[in-house]
Amino acid sequence: MLQCIFLLSESGEVMVEKQMTGHRVDRSICTWFWDHLLSLSLSQSQSQPEGGHIAQISQVLTSPTHYLFQLYRHGIIFLACTQLELPPLMPIEFLSRVADILSDYLGGLNEDIIKDNFVIVYQILDEMMDNGFPLTTEPNVLKEMVTPPNIVSKVFTAVTGKASPTVGPTLPEAAASCVPWRTTHPKNTTNEVYVNLVEHLHACVNREGNLRRCEVYGEIQVNSSLPGFPDLTLSFANPSLLNDVRFHPCVRFRPWELSQFLSFVPPDGNFKLMSYRVKGLKKIPIYVKPQLTSDSGNCRISALVGVKNDPGKTIDSIMVQFQLPPGITSADLTSNHGTVDILADKTCRWSIGQIPKDKLPCLSGNLVLEPGMERLHVAPIFQVKFKIMGVALSGLQIDKLEVKTPAANPYKGFRAQTQAGDYEFRS
Amino acid sequence: MAPPVSATKSPSPSQPSGKSEVSDLKLQLRQLAGSRAPGADDAKRDLFKRVISCMTVGIDVSPAFSEMVMCSATSDVVLKKMCYLYVGNYARCNPDLALLTINFLQKDCHDQDPTIRGLALRSLCSLRVQNLVEYLVAPLVVGLKDHSSYVRTVAAIGVLKLYHISATTCHDSDFPAALKALMLSDPDAQVVANCLYSLLEIWTQEAGHSEEAAREIETLYGKPIIYYFLNRIRDFSEWAQCLLLDLVSKYIPADNNEIFDMMNLLEDRLQHANGAVVLATIKVFLHLTMSMTDVHQQVVYERIKAPLLTLVGAGSPEQSYAVLCHLHILVMRAPMLFSSDYKHFYCQFSDPSYVKKLKLEMLTAIANESNTYEIVTELCEYAGNVDVPIARESIRAVGKIALQQYDVNAIVDRLLQFLEMEKDYVTAETLVLVKDLLRKYPQWSHDCIAVVGNISSNSIQEPEAKAALIWMLGEYSQDMMDAPYVLESLVENWEEEHSPEVRLHLLTAVMKCFFKRAPETQKALGAALAAGLADSHQDVHDRALFYYRLLQYDVAVAERVVNPPKQAVSVFADTQSSEIKDRIFDEFNSLSIVYQKPSYMFTDKEHRGPFEFAEDLSNLAIGGDSGDDAIRSAQRYQENDKDLLLSTSDKEENGGPTRNGSNSSTYSAPSDINSSLSALAPSSTSHTVAFAIDDLLGLGVPDAPILPLPPALSLNSKPVLDPGTFQKKWGQLTVSSSQESTLSIQGVASLTAPQSLIRHMQNNSIQCIASGGHPPNYKFFFFAQKEGSSSFFLVECIVNTASAKAQIKIKSDDASASDAFASIFQSALSNFGSL
Repeated sequence: MLQCIFLLSESGEVMVEKQMTGHRVDRSICTWFWDHLLSLSLSQSQSQPEGGHIAQISQVLTSPTHYLFQLYRHGIIFLACTQLELPPLMPIEFLSRVADILSDYLGGLNEDIIKDNFVIVYQILDEMMDNGFPLTTEPNVLKEMVTPPNIVSKVFTAVTGKASPTVGPTLPEAAASCVPWRTTHPKNTTNEVYVNLVEHLHACVNREGNLRRCEVYGEIQVNSSLPGFPDLTLSFANPSLLNDVRFHPCVRFRPWELSQFLSFVPPDGNFKLMSYRVKGLKKIPIYVKPQLTSDSGNCRISALVGVKNDPGKTIDSIMVQFQLPPGITSADLTSNHGTVDILADKTCRWSIGQIPKDKLPCLSGNLVLEPGMERLHVAPIFQVKFKIMGVALSGLQIDKLEVKTPAANPYKGFRAQTQAGDYEFRS
Repeated sequence: MAPPVSATKSPSPSQPSGKSEVSDLKLQLRQLAGSRAPGADDAKRDLFKRVISCMTVGIDVSPAFSEMVMCSATSDVVLKKMCYLYVGNYARCNPDLALLTINFLQKDCHDQDPTIRGLALRSLCSLRVQNLVEYLVAPLVVGLKDHSSYVRTVAAIGVLKLYHISATTCHDSDFPAALKALMLSDPDAQVVANCLYSLLEIWTQEAGHSEEAAREIETLYGKPIIYYFLNRIRDFSEWAQCLLLDLVSKYIPADNNEIFDMMNLLEDRLQHANGAVVLATIKVFLHLTMSMTDVHQQVVYERIKAPLLTLVGAGSPEQSYAVLCHLHILVMRAPMLFSSDYKHFYCQFSDPSYVKKLKLEMLTAIANESNTYEIVTELCEYAGNVDVPIARESIRAVGKIALQQYDVNAIVDRLLQFLEMEKDYVTAETLVLVKDLLRKYPQWSHDCIAVVGNISSNSIQEPEAKAALIWMLGEYSQDMMDAPYVLESLVENWEEEHSPEVRLHLLTAVMKCFFKRAPETQKALGAALAAGLADSHQDVHDRALFYYRLLQYDVAVAERVVNPPKQAVSVFADTQSSEIKDRIFDEFNSLSIVYQKPSYMFTDKEHRGPFEFAEDLSNLAIGGDSGDDAIRSAQRYQENDKDLLLSTSDKEENGGPTRNGSNSSTYSAPSDINSSLSALAPSSTSHTVAFAIDDLLGLGVPDAPILPLPPALSLNSKPVLDPGTFQKKWGQLTVSSSQESTLSIQGVASLTAPQSLIRHMQNNSIQCIASGGHPPNYKFFFFAQKEGSSSFFLVECIVNTASAKAQIKIKSDDASASDAFASIFQSALSNFGSL
């Protein structure tokens, strides 16, 4: 099992070191890791975005003494060491769970937050893993063992000059409850539940303008604040649409198998009820038409963006970006709508926002190639980002949500949104 | 949480204030130690935080140990936790001082609050100081019976910690038995899981030398326990489920009904939110259906496909890579089943390179008649990619697909288009591919040569590509007008060519060209041979000398050796043997998959224990050896394949017509070249040396075929026998032949390590299953299989290098053939070292 966990900052500084077993892992392993990282990023193309070189190295590494699992989140590297053979997803899933929980606890993740709260980080790690074996990873239960630093306690400290206890006075009752993700007596319930459909649209259009791939990865996020022991039933208008589903442990499988509805006792607070995949979609909401023509050391570039298959709601925060190919000495790009920036790592970012009613946004300009190069050899790939509120593009619809709770008539809220995932156009 | 006091800001590592800071902390702690003043706890907190931040930054704060312990008498939980953390970190270097902490830890173990009890017990067990073991036993005994499940979970792991500090204490107190009882009776799932975790680790570690532990392990894998767990699996946490599923994957069900029941029960696990659970379940499914080929391939793969594909797309890039690796191995095993999902393996711009690389391999594997066009079109788009390594990989992938498929028409056109892109690396990769393609499909030579002929050799820098181009120049010199002149200019630049590989190819190509177009090449050949003889690289020098003498001996023979008619290569050797692949597959859901190597190739032996089968444990060394050899043999097959290209002498296909026009000139050449060459290197030739070379040739070229094989018995070249069966057979059979044999002197000399003999015997289709010993005595166990039958020959061979004697015991399924085998074995043994 895992022998040690390190948290490193983006500059390679060890921020937290937590030894798990009797076998001590020397922290020189971090130095090795860092050297490895640097040597890799040197040998690779320099045009990586910030932190990109970290994402480019393999998740499982062999150092001379240990196997290292690394996870990079918000400028923090989570590094786990082991010498044993083990299922690779276990440490990776565990580390991402640690990252999620820490960012939930501390209200975000970055170097300073970790450094300011390292005592909490130690406490959480201590509860999450014992002797290298994951122990308590349910956020609700953890919160009762290690009190999160919230505004209340900050105010409390500021007013009384005394620190509030960071540990609950008694053992969490959920540890003994038969539904481990839910405490038996949640406090401060407001008797409401929100269901949020979040979809990521992955699409790829090739040079000829044909749709090569179009898929939706979606999630149903639920924020529940219900008293007692509520039993919820969520049903869809068109469940047959779903290609593959994954559930939070609270979902009962039998009803889903028999009649395709979700029956569950929700944990308190925010959680991911279900994730799903819908493939074989035929329609994309936005298109980009890039055109590149090069001759005698110059390359004319133009790109049109437009709406296709209008989803019925406004498409927001549209952004097109692409990497300028190597071998370009200067670029002069303008657009008739939105702003064009060329970032330090040679990424060209065109922020459009919303598409105006009266004209099609168009980017045009000229790229000057290095002397000696006649024409451009590599064609950039245009990545598009956007957001559509109020629509789930997969077409999935929630039919109804029934709540059985002691308190009458809880408030039920529904939302849907679609975002661009890997949404790209080749040129 | 307390607001960050300015002092708690961790000092930056660039300025470790070191000693002064520590002594300052010490002083302040001492002042606070006895204080019961109202604000004391807060002050302590700040100090503790500073101490721990120093510890984190890497400053050694162990000198403050006694002060820290003095301050630890407190009721504040956070203070306690920080103190435990500190103590746990430094107790090992200060075993004597650690004794001071025992007292308050033991007291905390009886606290009213279960959190504190658990915490104290955990810290107590984490001290890991040998001479404090006696203080651990009593709290653990109490902890295991605690009414709070939290304390019991901690205690269950605590036993394991105790075991690692002192195994005997753990057994003396009968903890394993207590854990087992707890595991089977406790209502709390987490307690049960932790018990199982500890027991598994303790017993597997002991299984090697304790029969009792091995038996206990057996019961864990037995039906009652497995069912006990399976029925409650949903109560367990996701991590514990992974552990259980791993356990279940080692259970062998009695019949098919049982298998289906288990799969039905576990099917919903495939939809768990945690990817680790999903993968563990998939492993169980694969293991359960291993024996049922058709079901295995069809139903199970179909069922696990969707969750895997979802996991790849939905998770973070880190998760998706690990899942992709697993998907990769499944795709490689059954490409057919994934052929309709090829779109999932299209590369995204944002994928990291290593993910793209895996995807390309999978796209290559699943290409078949129905999707080739789409896949190749997609791959060609990557060739213009910004990411150069991936562009290269995708060109290679296109080539591999071309080598797999029968309908290569369109693909060849695509490859030739690559050559017209005029990008250095694209051209280089493509050339290598075109060369391989021509070896397999000689019928395409005209189309390819037309395009290849237009490439300027100056624009190619990479050795491999250059070698490929030179090979084509030599091979198809009759079709390429200016081949001799291109070669000549290459020879002129001999000095500037840094890669010996290219120079070797150049020599051979010039030779081949000479046989086809002698008058034009003669000058170049002379220059090349001269340059080769003067070359500082040993191989190049030797090859030049060899060609030179060969030409001197007889030009016709030289042509037969250097440029025999080629047979099209039907299958290119795989880099990984199927045995290795199977082994990796057996280790599904482990690091082996990510590394694409079986675990014995990368994990240390000492750490392998807990995850191996009990019965495998005793055979670890053997497994390691044979695996290693399997790789070597795989490499050797590859080499043999290459040799085949150079040495086959079947008269087929394009052999005949090539020489038609130039016959006379070829035969007029010898005297010419002789005179010119002997002028070049007059003193180095002597007849005796030439003979010696001939002798070497006679012995060196054929290796296996010259063995005096009795026609009645031929051996299977790749028999498979696992160590367990070997042992069983060895026990059952009687000795059918027992002999003593003598080793040649060369044999003794080359037997410096067992591996050399093992390799030699493998060349003779006799495989080694185990070996050992130190000079002068070695002991080997070999086995071989009769071609076309299932009967095995098992051999025990004890070699004494001092007396050059070998004692052989042969056992066989088929006693009638054992004499024949004995003579094969003996002759193989006596041949050892003579090559």
